Order: sequence, then C-alpha cells, then structure tokens
Amino acid sequence: MIKYLIIILISSFSAFAQEVDQDLLFIKSRMDSIASFSAQLKLDLDVPFIKMPTKTAKMMYEKGSDITFSSEDFVMLPKRGLDFSLNEIFKYPFITVQRGTEILNGINVKVLNIIPDDSKSSLALATLYLDIKNKRIIASNIITKKDGSFDLQMKYKTSKDILPQNVVVSFAMEKLKIPFNFMGKDTEIDRKKLKESDSKTGKIIMVINNYKIFKIK
Amino acid sequence: MKQLLKYELFKLWKQGKTWYAIGAVLLIEIIILISAYFQGATILELLLDNLRQSFYFEGNLLNGNLLLYLVLNSLWFNVPLIIMIITSSIITEDYKNGTLQTTLLQAVKKWHLILAKYLAALIFTFFVIVVMMVSTFGMAYTIFGNGDLVVYLNTLNFFEADEAFKRICFAFASGTFSMLFFTTVSITLGILLKEPAKTWIASAFFLIICSLLLKVDFGLGNYDQLLFPKLINTWQQFFEYELNWVKIGVDNLMLLLYTFLFGAVGCYVFNKKDIG
Repeated sequence: MIKYLIIILISSFSAFAQEVDQDLLFIKSRMDSIASFSAQLKLDLDVPFIKMPTKTAKMMYEKGSDITFSSEDFVMLPKRGLDFSLNEIFKYPFITVQRGTEILNGINVKVLNIIPDDSKSSLALATLYLDIKNKRIIASNIITKKDGSFDLQMKYKTSKDILPQNVVVSFAMEKLKIPFNFMGKDTEIDRKKLKESDSKTGKIIMVINNYKIFKIK
Repeated sequence: MKQLLKYELFKLWKQGKTWYAIGAVLLIEIIILISAYFQGATILELLLDNLRQSFYFEGNLLNGNLLLYLVLNSLWFNVPLIIMIITSSIITEDYKNGTLQTTLLQAVKKWHLILAKYLAALIFTFFVIVVMMVSTFGMAYTIFGNGDLVVYLNTLNFFEADEAFKRICFAFASGTFSMLFFTTVSITLGILLKEPAKTWIASAFFLIICSLLLKVDFGLGNYDQLLFPKLINTWQQFFEYELNWVKIGVDNLMLLLYTFLFGAVGCYVFNKKDIG
C-alpha cells in the first residue's frame, strides 16, 4: 500500500515539474546570437487623450545591457515591449506550460504560459505565441507585478528575420490627472468623459527599419 | 490727420506712463520665466506622472516654446489691463487737462482728432505686443532652448519644435486682434466717461466681465461663439491639435468687426457730444 502511495506521489510531482519548452529555448538561443544591433524607429501613439505626431528615434542594443534610445525630438517610448532578447523572462527561473496550438493571423502558433519561479521576477505571467516554422515569437501577453499588463503583436519583414519590423504594444492606461494650473482658461472639464476614461487602452505602433545586426562569432 | 496722428504718438512717446506700461509687461514676462524655471519641472512632472507607468521620456519639455505658451496666457488679463489703462488716458487726460478744447479751437475736425487718437492707441498696442513678442522669444529661447511643446486643451497635445514656433507666432498675431479690441473699447469708454479713474475702473470691469462670460452658455447654439466675450481667446485655438482655419478666420473677423463697431460708436458719440 505504502509502495503504491509513493509511486502516486512521485508521478504527481513529476507532472508539476515542467521543463522549459525546447522551441522557446531555441528562439532564446537565436536571440542570444545577437551581440548588438542598432535600428531606426518610427513611433506612432494611439492613446485617446494624447495627440502626438509620428516620432523617430534611433535604438541601440548591446548584449547584457538594456536597449537605449536617442532622438532629437521629445519621444515617449514604451516601458515594456522592446525586450526582444527576452532578458526579462529569462532573468529568473520559470516554468513553461504548454497551452496547445492555434492559428494566429494565419500562422500556426504554439501557445506557452511562462510562470516565474522566483519572487524577485517582475513578471506575474506571460503568454507567448511561438511561430514554430520560423522559430520566433509573433505575439505575447505579459502581466507584470507593478507595471500592469500589455499585449505585443510582431510582424517580420522576411521569414528569416529574428527581429521584428512592425511591433504593436497595447496596454491599459489610467485616466489623465491634469494639474489645474496647467489648464488653459477655456479648457472644459467634462467630468463624465473623465469618469469614462478611468482606464483606457493605449497602443504604440512601431516600425523598425535599417537594422544593423552584429552577431556573436 | 497725419499730423494729428504724429502728435498723438509723440505725446504717448513722451509720457512716463507709456514706459511704465512697457516696463510692467517686461516684468510680467520675467516673473513668468523665473517661476517657470523653478516650478516648470514640477508641473511637467505632475502632468506626465501617470504616463510614466507605461512610458520612458526622451527629451526636454521645459523649453522656450512652453515658456512662450505660458507668457501667451498672460494675454488673458494682465497685458490688456495695462494696455487699457494707458490707451484710455489718450482721451481722458485731454478731457482732464482741458487740452481737448484747446486743440479743437484750431482748424481741426473732430472726427479727424478722435480717429487719430484711436489710431495712435492701436499703433501703441501693436508696438507693445511686438516688444513683448521679441523680448519673450529672445529670453525664452536663450534661457530654455528649443524643443517640443506640450499643451493641455481637453487632450494632451504635443507639437514638434518647428510646428510649435509657427503656432506661437500665429497665436501672437491672433492675440494682437484681442488686444486691439480692448484698446478700442478703452478709448470708447474714455469718450463716454471722460474721467481717467472712472475709465480705468470701467476698463477693468469690462475685462473681468469678458473673462467671466467666456464660459457662460447663452443658449444661442452656434451663435453663442459669435459674441465678443467668446472671441477674446481665439488665439488659444492655434493649440488645438487639428487646426480649424475656417473657425479661426471667422472668429478673428468677428473680433475685427466688434473692434470697428466699438470704434464707430466712440467716434459717433465724440462727434455728437459737446466738448465742454
């Protein structure tokens, strides 16, 4: 009887202890092969209470560091969604849970849940949509502990590309609190509108071009 | 007529009040610039606070263009008040000192004289706005540099530096129409009231009323916007993200019409009234 109980217990533990998905590891290794890259970024903001013209910036990445940006204009860059190297996910131990496959934008994708295994991780839960054929991520939904949740949609120029050309980051935003001394005299305060805008969904549409990628030899 | 205009402008140039007024306008600018230097970063910090959750900011928003926008806001009350006090004295001082009677004893037509006074006041106002514009542009760009402008008008509007410069120039031009309107009103009030102190109070009262009525709904639908208290802030429309040139044009034209109307009333009353 005890023998059977031990067998049941061992088998149930092994069911919980999942290994990291091999496809995800392969994608990670593809990303890791990049030593540095630079690219031109075109940003469009689609937020209900913000009106901003299309902005351009230069983005630079070096392995082991965060992506940096430079621009002659004032630009608002998304806090999340530019972690192409998946550093944030791989920073702390995690487990993956397979959620099967589905068709997303006409592409057969593998759906994976990423659950952090370390309390230090800023991530609460991530869902990744892996394009198995081209070995890359085409969409994700990230839920963070402090910075809310956001969705990412990525499109690539060619089937060989590792880094995306079009990225759309969607996120929830809190209503805008404006200090009164900054308001113009004829600014009307529409309380109903303000209440309605408690949390709005914002989008950042990025077009990334002129990649200069340096790979690890 | 030309001679009369020259004479009125010479009087304005020579009187100490004129220079006090220009000095006051410059002082307002300096105070705005100093307060913006110390408080601007905090205001922007508050304004963009809840966007920080989702965004990093690259670039500086506390720049010359924001300062110019803040100075433009002083057009609401401070600058027209100073201008109205000075320009009304063009006629009220003449009533007070009796120089009007002396002038009209010469071969001078009444309507030529009053027209010269109106024109002198309008030229003076234009001069003040030009001084204000040049000095603010100089100080703001020298101290704070150039950059994108952020304005809150029901939505948070961002303008690139070149676009911001263009819009500020247009706003100064449109603001000048408002100032010319107030100038004309002050002379007309001077003609009606004759006494300097009474005219100053009436001018300040007119300004306050206009300011209060700006947000009042008169229930006239689209015609509501054609009443003059609603037109004094036309310059602010240049900071809407999408420019409605037709509305801006109509509003400025209407303000110009009101200016002519108040001027015409003043001229008519002056011509009909007994000088003594």
